[in-house]
Amino acid sequence: MRPGKFAYHRAETIDAALELLTNNEDAKVLAGGHSLIPALNLRLAQPEMLIDIGRLENLRGIQANGSLMIGALTTHAQIETSAAVQQYCRALSAAVSKVGDPMVRNRGTIGGNIAHADPASDPPTVLLACDSIIHLQGPDGTRTVPVQDFFLDLFTTDVQPNELVTGIEVPNMSDHKTAYAKLTHPASHYAVVGVCVAVKMDGDTCDHAHVAIGGALPKAMRSPGAEAALAGTTLDDAALNAAAEALMDEIRAEVMGDVYAPEAYRTAMAGVYLKRAIRQALAS
Amino acid sequence: MTGFLNTSVTRPDAAGKVTGQRAYPGDLVRPGMLHLKVVFAERPHARIRAIDTAAAMAHPGVVAVLTAEDVPSNGFGLIVPDQPVLCGEVVRCVGDRVALVAAETPDAAEAAARLVVIDYEDLPVISDPHAALQTDAPLLHLGWGTNIISEFAIRKGDTARAFAEADVIVEDEFSTTWQEHAFLQPEAGIAYVDEHERVIIETAGQWLHEDRRQIATMLQLPEERIVVRYAAVGGAFGGREDLSLQHLLALAAWKLRRTVAMNWSREESMIGHPKRHPVTIRSRWAARRDGTITAVEAHAVADGGAYASTSQEVIKVIALFASGTYEVPNITSTIVAAYTNNLPTGAFRGFGAPQAQFAAEIMITKLAHALGIDPLDMRRRNIYREGGTEPTQVTLPPGVSALPVLERCIAEAHTRMGHEPPAAPYLRRGIGIAAGIKNLGYSFGYPEQATAAVELYGDASINRAVVRVGAAEVGQGTHTALRQIAAEVLQVPFERIEMICDDSSAAPNAGSASASRLTLIAGRAVHDAARAALQQWHEEERPACATVQYRPPATTPLDPVTTAGRPNYAYGYASQAVEVEVHLLTGQVQVLRAISVHDVGRVINPQQVTGQIEGGVVQALGYALLEQFQMRDGYVTTPHFSSYLLPTTMDVPEIIPIALEHAEPLGPFGARGFAELPLVPFAPAVAIAVYNAIGVWLTRLPMTPERVLEAIKKQHTA
Ligand SMILES: Cc1cc2nc3c(=O)[nH]c(=O)nc-3n(C[C@H](O)[C@H](O)[C@H](O)COP(=O)(O)OP(=O)(O)OC[C@H]3O[C@@H](n4cnc5c(N)ncnc54)[C@H](O)[C@@H]3O)c2cc1C
Repeated sequence: MRPGKFAYHRAETIDAALELLTNNEDAKVLAGGHSLIPALNLRLAQPEMLIDIGRLENLRGIQANGSLMIGALTTHAQIETSAAVQQYCRALSAAVSKVGDPMVRNRGTIGGNIAHADPASDPPTVLLACDSIIHLQGPDGTRTVPVQDFFLDLFTTDVQPNELVTGIEVPNMSDHKTAYAKLTHPASHYAVVGVCVAVKMDGDTCDHAHVAIGGALPKAMRSPGAEAALAGTTLDDAALNAAAEALMDEIRAEVMGDVYAPEAYRTAMAGVYLKRAIRQALAS
Repeated sequence: MTGFLNTSVTRPDAAGKVTGQRAYPGDLVRPGMLHLKVVFAERPHARIRAIDTAAAMAHPGVVAVLTAEDVPSNGFGLIVPDQPVLCGEVVRCVGDRVALVAAETPDAAEAAARLVVIDYEDLPVISDPHAALQTDAPLLHLGWGTNIISEFAIRKGDTARAFAEADVIVEDEFSTTWQEHAFLQPEAGIAYVDEHERVIIETAGQWLHEDRRQIATMLQLPEERIVVRYAAVGGAFGGREDLSLQHLLALAAWKLRRTVAMNWSREESMIGHPKRHPVTIRSRWAARRDGTITAVEAHAVADGGAYASTSQEVIKVIALFASGTYEVPNITSTIVAAYTNNLPTGAFRGFGAPQAQFAAEIMITKLAHALGIDPLDMRRRNIYREGGTEPTQVTLPPGVSALPVLERCIAEAHTRMGHEPPAAPYLRRGIGIAAGIKNLGYSFGYPEQATAAVELYGDASINRAVVRVGAAEVGQGTHTALRQIAAEVLQVPFERIEMICDDSSAAPNAGSASASRLTLIAGRAVHDAARAALQQWHEEERPACATVQYRPPATTPLDPVTTAGRPNYAYGYASQAVEVEVHLLTGQVQVLRAISVHDVGRVINPQQVTGQIEGGVVQALGYALLEQFQMRDGYVTTPHFSSYLLPTTMDVPEIIPIALEHAEPLGPFGARGFAELPLVPFAPAVAIAVYNAIGVWLTRLPMTPERVLEAIKKQHTA
């Protein structure tokens, strides 16, 4: 449970970090270290160099200006306690407040979280339900990727080897009711199942709903079936049951299992937590 | 001056342990020692074609790589020496040790261990004891001639006739899984050869003199040449009864004439010691309409894993307690333990009693339901009473307190449980009450004794007393309790009594810290030795010294034909009540409160009684609901605490510990053992509570959310 040997560099500017990344093929960026260091200890990752970006203060912080701009180095705890996030996207506040434990939330960053793309993470599910945009910077400049195209597979994203995640843009969801419901693994505290919903109500009727699920699949996914089952209804029990059935049907083929939550159990929990998320959203 | 009993004296070891002053085995490692690293098999079954140690030897800092050829007598085991110290021909489980690297630094030892090249030819893997018992199954121990480690049967009365005449019969099948001891401190220790050519091993364990015996046998040295000493022991629960690394330390020290050290990681610990036996039990119980149980039939199969360890004794306990705490005139109880390529199974707090009584307590409840009788009345009617007859056709040892213990538990549950409704429509609450029995001390003719020596110094009055008793302090507080017993006999202040307990050359053999036996039997030896020394003191001997070996009434093996015999000399009795809340949508079971009633005979130290009950209840809760050590095709799929779930503060309910004092006739001041008993009725009490909440029986342990939900769904479709 000790890492192999590696070189350590602390970057003082984004450009310096990018230069180090470009010139060292086998380098990894170190942010909060709460996914990378365990991976090093278990020797699941053995990079030759770590580039510590922890001091890049301009990547830290939250701006609310029509949409939310969250710097990549912003910690879960900073997001959790931000009034702007609470106002723009309650589900995101809720999700990061359920990440791991206080130590993890104080050190772990949202940029590191999405770059790592652990299928059991919480933030990706919310970002997906809320049509967020990921901001990246490489040697040739900046670009943006819609979150739908960002997560490619288990631990795999669209971040290129010489790029940094610089920020995450979350639209103002205050005209939606949003919620995140999570079945927490008792030991790791990661999501066994996490469901995020964002519903737009028109009086008593649901104009449209966004539903995303994480934890159960190699990567977080939207559920077109559940969204269709909810739109145009009053979100009564029948609609919730239909949405849950649709979600379970969609994930059944791809759902992952482990000793704690085998496939069938996880599938069932997806339905339960979808309904829970909708009820929480309506109560919010 | 009186009153050393029933007081919570401060544990002398407490301050050192909480401040870090007291050394655990891992703290003994010092610069300049050689560091050892085990090369584990990491495969469940294979023939070793060749072991190439050249690359490892060439690694800088490496001093030696030991293999099977270096072991003077290459087999060990508590009962049968069927486990190689280092495997030379075949590996039979992932935890098998194949080579031992000694190097100047831990890093060098670790790097070199990865350079040991073992050429394996994989062999078919038997991962299920039922498969192991098939006639065409490959033999795992060729010389043994069968995959049966041991078989055992108890027959009493005429079961066939009793079933034929029964008013009601119920039948079911139960299965339990492995449990990991998960003690806080992984295995560690040091060893060296002293100036008298003695091999000194400083480590953790549960029985100094048994460790010494096995190590002496391995090295083919007289026992006096081996000295085992225990540092502070960070928990044991049965998981330190077998040798894990003590013999490897001794081997390396003896061969290399250097001080050697080893400090296992949690991962090594997980595969390095045996687990609780997974057992399947098919049960059939019969009763008369009036609620009298007339017959019990139970057929059980236990997974013994790759080596015998204590399987032979564990299965006897399972067979004996197939009928629980109840007197039944007709019994057929059979059990077989099979070799498999899983990790070995052995001692774990309760030693077979939890598995057997998980089945028994559910069966008596189902029988009561079938008869329309209150399950508690059913227990009252059939529970063991003074003068009752055991399954092995002998009278129970005197001091049977099962009924008053049960009655107290029922009364407490009545006042403390079931008074608030659940907070939501998808939550259901239920209460479960179960009884339990466990033997105290060794059984079925296994030699049982404890020896203690007491020395009294002073002139007019006793200035100082020394108590020597080789009883392992594994965290349970035995040294404190034994000291209180000595203080009470001698009427000498606690502080003036010195305890010598941790050195096999300085303290006599008191047997193992297991079978809930130390307070009872080592306590009795201390009590008797203190009395004898006091007698001499009164006869003006200075110093006054006495050594007493206490032997309880003999137990016997069973008669091979009639299966009659004296299984045990003493029993402990417990009853527990739990209130649970079941979540109908997720299958999660939360234990809200637990009442644990124990006959402890005489309270020596109230705080330690509470400590044992609370710790036991938490461990039992893990066993009932969470702890699911899993192996697939011989590989461990739960090697970390991130996948092997243990209870945390979030799971632990309000615990109400209750100690009754019905004297055990053999015990010091009437004290009896009880420390395994919290593990016995708990799981069935939870199963009964879950049944009372949702109307479904869970007959597999642990009762995970997945299984509970599955059961709820089955009931809906049925
Ligand atoms: C005990 C524990 C429990 C946890 N529980 C949860 C949980 O319940 N839910 C949850 O969502 N997460 C959980 N986590 C993970 C946690 O959220 C991590 O903090 C997060 O996944 C990684 O963020 P980090 O800043 O620590 O990244 P690091 O560990 O520093 O880096 C992770 C990866 O991302 C890369 N990286 C980091 N920053 C950037 C960047 N700006 N641009 C490009 N690449 C980058 C690194 O090179 C590395 O590959 C848990 C972690 C632990 C240790």
